[in-house]
Amino acid sequence: MKTLILSKVVMRSAAYSIFFVCAVAAIGIATVSSAMAASGPVALDSVPQAKLSDKAAMQNGAKTFMSYCLGCHGVSAMRYSRLSDIGMNEEQIKALLPEGKKTGDYIRTSISRNDAKEWFGAAPPDLSLTARARSSHSGTGTDWVYTFLRTYVEDPSRPTGWNNKTYPGVGMPHVLWEMQKTKSPAEFDSAVGDLAAFLNYVAEPAQFTRKTFGIVVLAFLAVFFVIAWRLNKAYWKKIR
Amino acid sequence: MAAEKTVTTTGLLGWIDNRFPLTKMYKEHLSEYYAPKNFNLWYFFGSLAMVVLALQIITGIFLTMHYKPDASLNAAGIPVAFASVEYIMREVPFGWLIRYMHSTGASAFFVIVYLHMWRGMMYGSYRAPRELIWIFGCTIFLMLMAEAFFGYLLPWGQMSYWGAQVIVNLFAAVPLIGPDLAVWVRGDFVVGDATLNRFFAFHVIAIPLVLVGLVAAHIIALHEVGSNNPDGVEIKKNKNADGIPLDGIPFHPYYTVHDIVGIAGFLIVFCAVVFFAPELGGYFLEFNNFIPADPLVTPPHIAPVWYFTPFYSMLRAVTDLFTWVMVGAAALGALALLRSNWPMVIRAAGVAAIVVLAITFRVFDAKFWGVVIMGGAVIILFFLPWLDVSPVKSIRYRPTWQKVLYAVFVVNFFILGYLGVLPPSPIGQAYSLAGTVFYFGFFALMPLWTNKGQFKPVPDRVTFKPH
Amino acid sequence: MSQSNQELSFPSPTESIEPERRTWLIACGAAGGVAAAATAVPILSSMAPSEKARSAGAPVEVDIGDLVPGAIKTVEWRGKPVWIVRRTPEMLASLEKVESQLADPKSDRTAFPVPQYAKNRHRSIKPEVLVTVGICTHLGCSPVSKFETGNQPGLGADWAGGYFCPCHGSNFDHAGRVYANKPAPDNLEVPRHMYLSDTRLVIGRDEKGEA
Repeated sequence: MKTLILSKVVMRSAAYSIFFVCAVAAIGIATVSSAMAASGPVALDSVPQAKLSDKAAMQNGAKTFMSYCLGCHGVSAMRYSRLSDIGMNEEQIKALLPEGKKTGDYIRTSISRNDAKEWFGAAPPDLSLTARARSSHSGTGTDWVYTFLRTYVEDPSRPTGWNNKTYPGVGMPHVLWEMQKTKSPAEFDSAVGDLAAFLNYVAEPAQFTRKTFGIVVLAFLAVFFVIAWRLNKAYWKKIR
Repeated sequence: MAAEKTVTTTGLLGWIDNRFPLTKMYKEHLSEYYAPKNFNLWYFFGSLAMVVLALQIITGIFLTMHYKPDASLNAAGIPVAFASVEYIMREVPFGWLIRYMHSTGASAFFVIVYLHMWRGMMYGSYRAPRELIWIFGCTIFLMLMAEAFFGYLLPWGQMSYWGAQVIVNLFAAVPLIGPDLAVWVRGDFVVGDATLNRFFAFHVIAIPLVLVGLVAAHIIALHEVGSNNPDGVEIKKNKNADGIPLDGIPFHPYYTVHDIVGIAGFLIVFCAVVFFAPELGGYFLEFNNFIPADPLVTPPHIAPVWYFTPFYSMLRAVTDLFTWVMVGAAALGALALLRSNWPMVIRAAGVAAIVVLAITFRVFDAKFWGVVIMGGAVIILFFLPWLDVSPVKSIRYRPTWQKVLYAVFVVNFFILGYLGVLPPSPIGQAYSLAGTVFYFGFFALMPLWTNKGQFKPVPDRVTFKPH
Repeated sequence: MSQSNQELSFPSPTESIEPERRTWLIACGAAGGVAAAATAVPILSSMAPSEKARSAGAPVEVDIGDLVPGAIKTVEWRGKPVWIVRRTPEMLASLEKVESQLADPKSDRTAFPVPQYAKNRHRSIKPEVLVTVGICTHLGCSPVSKFETGNQPGLGADWAGGYFCPCHGSNFDHAGRVYANKPAPDNLEVPRHMYLSDTRLVIGRDEKGEA
């Protein structure tokens, strides 16, 4: 096709200039988008990392959950009996059970979804996966829970009298207000941290086993790689 | 009695060989299949793709034992499908492991397939006589995208639901029959239980069967003509007295053993993700998908999974402004046709057709053209063997400026992908427009630029360093 | 330049593999075997009863305070029907009379081992209360109760009362023991059970623990 005649010089400069433009664009976009991220969701406080693997903290959190949260929120993917993972024995679990429930039951709330929707504007969500679902570039979902429960402010314009800096316009009242009043700020933060640690565990009970397995598997694979490499070498030495 | 066969094997193997071409196939495809000896890292991804396909099928089978494709709510108000995934994660022994292997495998499949396709582009593996291998491969890629799309609805999270809703609505953009087509695909007026069940059927059996068949065809077509190599040299041109290519080595044991190393390396990366970072920052398992599907609430930011994002950027780039760009491209095409030396009748008919097409660019919604562009971006790949008119196969022997263009293509693809993850913005829109034009221009104008410039001399024999 | 492909081809069965290749082949084979086993174990275990199935298989408590003599109560345990019968003195008396017609009157067979406390003629802890799994030991249908004695259609002239399985015609007596020359080989299973009180029975658990 002898249509458009493109000289070598034109083609070459076209290629290089496109490359230059792309490079500039890439850098520009990287800068702009990181700026966007910073102005995005609210900054989150990090839950104290030690609590996330502390069984005592998680047990505390479990008790807080049953006392304050189970009234409206279920964690219906969990069974009560599974709490043995975090070190609770059968008696301790039975002590947590609401009336009429067995240890093999799923942890469900008894509030009616329709009633709750009427009272609060939205049905209280199941919290089984909140510690994963609320993750973002600002932090993990567990961090979100930890921050959310500690950023309630009084707001007479809201039906419940409370608003929340992490979730403006939330329908949930400040369920822990009495705890916040009676405990010192450090104690309150610790209690909320325990609750966040509990929800972190609930979101993925397998997380602790998985990391242990991972270490064994990767160690084995490292050895396997070396063996495979040597086997390959033994054969390819002959190829000239 | 049947015609006498001449098999040299004896015993049980001989019995089989007289009834099934076992040893014959072993020789033809393994011990006497001669592959070029200069394969590099880029040549691992074919066997890795097969490994991941097997992995997905096996983990998929075991997931199907426990998963329930049911959109109705259980006693706790959670959709049954969503709850069944959490059941697998918590109550099925090692269910969490099988789930993570399947989700990581899906993303790994795309990483591997993109790298595998890039190898083909770099070394001209699609050039004659390997066009059919490339065509089977592009079909596999399309089927893989469909498989991933259908599979992603199954967990029935917010991303699953709204992603499916948006993509099926793309079908509604087709003029005249669109809305009815979308209802037929969904089985309902919105994405619901009917959609979930049929996507389950597609994902679990229909497409996997097609995929396995296509992969077999892909490999059979490859073995019929023999593999290409990083130098683009045809090893069959130089054979020894026994008819064996001088630069060829038997696939088994040399490449079987070689591929084991590749698999070991892949498994290290794969297992690192599965055991230590299965979500991979929300790219492999998206955060919004941990919320059960809610037909009444759309999440503030829907994006497809990372492997679709380059094409998603192209879809978003097609606005009213873009349709003018398309008209411009049509005008250039008409001009080129007029200045060609084809018969006048053909030229007149062609220009008329292009004018009609250009009118439709402005008459039909930009929404429809967005779908066409997105689909076209994959379809144009099928034509690569005929668009590339370069005298050399491999990028190694192309002029430097062509290598630069290839690099730009990759960078552009990555940028388009990155933009697809972000919410739309003016600068993103502007770049996506330019990036889409570059993507299509790169391929469509290949007949013009791939045979220009100073090519390096292609050697007669492959370049190989003993190791 | 390149050596002949003949040297490179796969060694025939009569040639031996070079020592270095053999070493690494064996090492690789062994490691591969370990990897295969390590992968197979979790994947195949996933087919074992999940927490949900094990939870559903938990012991079942039954209140038998309202069970009158001659009445039969059915509860579900592990997806199977379990019969609890308060036997009348006539029913208990029939147990000795039919013993010559039974295949395994002393419950010696081991396919469904009888717990120690039920290894007696009445096959139960309390003589009046029978606890047995209502699944025929032939191919798994659930027999029907036939407590009416005397001439019964299909059951012979002097049917002493018990259970009849409609699928292939096996008969069982008032202790769930199978009649001889019938398709079913074993007596009806007696599950592990214990009394929490005079009127409260738990099926699936006894002093030794859970079944």
